[in-house]
Amino acid sequence: MRWAAPLLLLVAPASAMAAPVVTSTAPDSVSVSVFRDPDRDEGGEIDRDWLNGFALISETRTLDLPAGESVVRFEGVAEGMVAVSAIVTGLPGGVVQKNRDAALLSPASLLDGTLGNRVHLRRTKRATGDVTEEEAIIRSGPAGAVVLQTSAGFEALRCTGIPESLVYDGVPKGLTAKPTLSVTTRSPAAQRVTATLTYLSTGFDWASNYVARVAPGGKTLDLFAWLTVANSNGESFADASLSALAGTLNVERDFDELVESPLTPRLNLTCFPTGSGRYGQPLLSPPPPAPAMVGYADEGAENIVVTGMRLREAKASSPVAVVAEQEDLGDLKLYRVPIPVTVAANGQKQVALLVKDDVPFATIYRLRVDVDDEFDDEAAEILLRMENRKSEKLGIPLPSGQVAVFEQSHGMELLAGEGAIRDHAIGERVDIVIGESSQVRVAIENYATPGKDRHSYRATVSNANPYAVTFELGFDYYEDGQLDSRLRKLPRKDGLPTWTVRVPANATRRFDYRVRASGG
Amino acid sequence: MRAPILAAVAAGLIASPAAAQNASQGNAQGELAVTIYNGGQSLVQDVRQIRFPAGRSRQEFPDVSAQIRPQTVSFGAADTAIVEQNFDYDLLSPNALMQKAVGETVTLLRINPATGAETRERAKVLAVNGGVVLQIGTRIEILRDDGLPVRVIFDSIPPNLRAKPTLSITVDSNSASTRPATLSYLTGGLGWAADYVSLYDEKAGTVDVQGWVTLTNTTGTTFENAKTLLVAGTPSGGVANNVRSGRYRPVPTAPGTLRSAGTETAPREQLGDYYLYPLPERTTIANAQTKQVSFLDVARVPARKIYEFTVDGFNNMTEPASAASVIKFSSSREGGLGDALPAGTVRFYQRDLRGDPQFIGESRIGHTPMGSELGLKTGDAFDVKVKATVVSRERRTPTIWRSAMSYLITNARSQPITLDLVQRGLDWYWSETRILSESQKSERLDSDGTRWRVTVPANGETTITATFETRY
Repeated sequence: MRWAAPLLLLVAPASAMAAPVVTSTAPDSVSVSVFRDPDRDEGGEIDRDWLNGFALISETRTLDLPAGESVVRFEGVAEGMVAVSAIVTGLPGGVVQKNRDAALLSPASLLDGTLGNRVHLRRTKRATGDVTEEEAIIRSGPAGAVVLQTSAGFEALRCTGIPESLVYDGVPKGLTAKPTLSVTTRSPAAQRVTATLTYLSTGFDWASNYVARVAPGGKTLDLFAWLTVANSNGESFADASLSALAGTLNVERDFDELVESPLTPRLNLTCFPTGSGRYGQPLLSPPPPAPAMVGYADEGAENIVVTGMRLREAKASSPVAVVAEQEDLGDLKLYRVPIPVTVAANGQKQVALLVKDDVPFATIYRLRVDVDDEFDDEAAEILLRMENRKSEKLGIPLPSGQVAVFEQSHGMELLAGEGAIRDHAIGERVDIVIGESSQVRVAIENYATPGKDRHSYRATVSNANPYAVTFELGFDYYEDGQLDSRLRKLPRKDGLPTWTVRVPANATRRFDYRVRASGG
Repeated sequence: MRAPILAAVAAGLIASPAAAQNASQGNAQGELAVTIYNGGQSLVQDVRQIRFPAGRSRQEFPDVSAQIRPQTVSFGAADTAIVEQNFDYDLLSPNALMQKAVGETVTLLRINPATGAETRERAKVLAVNGGVVLQIGTRIEILRDDGLPVRVIFDSIPPNLRAKPTLSITVDSNSASTRPATLSYLTGGLGWAADYVSLYDEKAGTVDVQGWVTLTNTTGTTFENAKTLLVAGTPSGGVANNVRSGRYRPVPTAPGTLRSAGTETAPREQLGDYYLYPLPERTTIANAQTKQVSFLDVARVPARKIYEFTVDGFNNMTEPASAASVIKFSSSREGGLGDALPAGTVRFYQRDLRGDPQFIGESRIGHTPMGSELGLKTGDAFDVKVKATVVSRERRTPTIWRSAMSYLITNARSQPITLDLVQRGLDWYWSETRILSESQKSERLDSDGTRWRVTVPANGETTITATFETRY
């Protein structure tokens, strides 16, 4: 059982003269506050393959400190830890210094760290399988080749053509399996303390995912949102207190750059020329396969009762048991998950963010054009419009995210559109573009009046739906002089003169206007 | 003591890929309804019988689409409330297994290359950085440093590592019973398009049109016995923000396929603005399968062929160019197809002298409302050509130019033809172009173009001349 001794003891003899090392392997409790990717488009989705947000992680750990100076090593932190952001509180003697040890234990660092030291050279005879082992001294660094001194003289490693391997007596001082944060502290007495480690970590992101269910009649909808949190770190945070922050923070440094651990040197041994140019065998494990998204392996089947029964009635959606609580944090909005949850490694989780029922809305068809645009056929955008006010059954902060709109049709709840919304404060109008209509089409023709500096246009909107629709045509322009009186008289919507018209079922409506050539 | 554990682990490792070969056996899918949109987006509704214990429980859902968008999952079952949903994709791989074994102890089985003798050792994994550093007893070694065969045997798989991404939902249940639960989600990889087979009869001036729905499944998952519904539409919009990027719409150089948008409503069920095309019975949509279902079959719809040619500017053509053959028809109830047309490809066929249909060209259409006029280009005519010649170009003033154009239209066919000749480029950056004279009255289409409808006798030719005054 000698080999089962913890790593700590291995390191300890090498640093016998230095302060004793206290290793904390895991936190007692942890809280995770996730921030969104600051560069993501408004209403954008989480990119699970490359999470660009970050999180503030706060862990409490129990430490047994010896009296005097000691080094506390924090293991089991997120691999995306931004070490410069780490704060350690609760140490009675304070923090003398804080180090992020990123000299990693690897085949190359073993060789380098053992330079000049004695190692064992183990050779296996292919013919007989006999294993011989002899002492050797490393005389060169790991950059490209290894020259060894053996009892026979000087030799180059792996230039012999026989399987050979170096065996070491120990791990050089200061090498760690993973980047590790260590702090030096001076404790007035030997005591058990509870310290808090707080740090920023990359490899997180969150977004809202809205689900809008249109009530029969098409006048109101039930708005629901998931708080979707993803973690691409290799560490899981069990029973964490989870919160998410909406808003835009100023971030100056690229966290990924700060996190990046030094490249693990590759051990690639070269030999003296032997005619065939035999190269050392690279010691790299194969790269991880891309996450395969195919296959039918069925390892969870025992949880599920498979049945051939035809089911007529099944609830479309269950209510939620837990909804995040929202509070204001300065200029940010904080959403707190009220129960402890596990933020798993390489996982995405969803907890209800908000629930608002019976929100009145309007469906608008809209197109925005330049005043001198002309085209045969364009599809109008379909827009859901809500007012984010208490009186309109809403009136809550709406963090940016994707929206899926469902409607009852064909006896089922079907996806009627998908869109995205930016961050909306209370009081703002919410316009969600959920698709393009194939039924409401717009044509703008320029029927020429040669010899004049104004062009006559006719916009025609056609509605093939069996119901009337509200259509808005917004005109973008450069200077007032371009517009004729008909355009100038149009009411403004979002700054654009907008022709708003009710188009009856199976009908067309026209709008004529003249535009002077810009810069003409 | 050790052997049975190893055997169990080995069996587990071998069993998973084997199960993966057989999708039909032990498939956990329930009663499926699949709604497929254009643009590769689909809604899957899966009603499964689930045994809920009373209180809080975590339910895993295998056999969902491999391209599931987990953030779009919704779940419903009687007497339940959702606590949280999780999608875990910490996948099992040799590298992940070794990475998670740092600090753990594994078994090494060395095989002597000459004798085949096996030696078993326990080793602790110290680090996995560009190679695996092991501690065996008091010695430090690098895994397979000398290239000799070594088996690494792990005692167990870390609980978080999974064979494939796993969807799970934690619910509170009021009662313990087995009851139906609806899982619905959006997935990529399932899409459809329409394909139209149009048999054009030139003599009768009609077209017979069959519409086929072509459904493709590249999700990596087979949907068994699914109630299938197709929706003609791409229900996705952008961000409703104030950024308008000053889109520049180029003036059209050739007419598009939709000549005028219709305002008739097709006799089909609608979801908002989108028409629904339900498949009449349940069907299995196998992975990597293409499935075709008929949705439209109309015979003898009036159609006519016209030739179109667009001259872009006042340029000399040294060689004649072929005119486009365009087939025009309507999607109206009266004198047309009488249906809305989902976006797809229209392929035209025409019978040869032996009566066999031959392919004469194809054209793409967008979603087309019922009542629209369509003009679909099938190709370039071999026998109908246009050659434009600049007869003269004079500078009248420093900014005013006068161009005399002549267009020779030749018809080598044994029937007379009609050709729409369009001269574009009249509106060169807001100048004022006038037609001073022309041999046949043209119709001004817009400020940039004018059109002559020209008839050319069988095996004959026609010349059109016109003089333009242009300000540059």
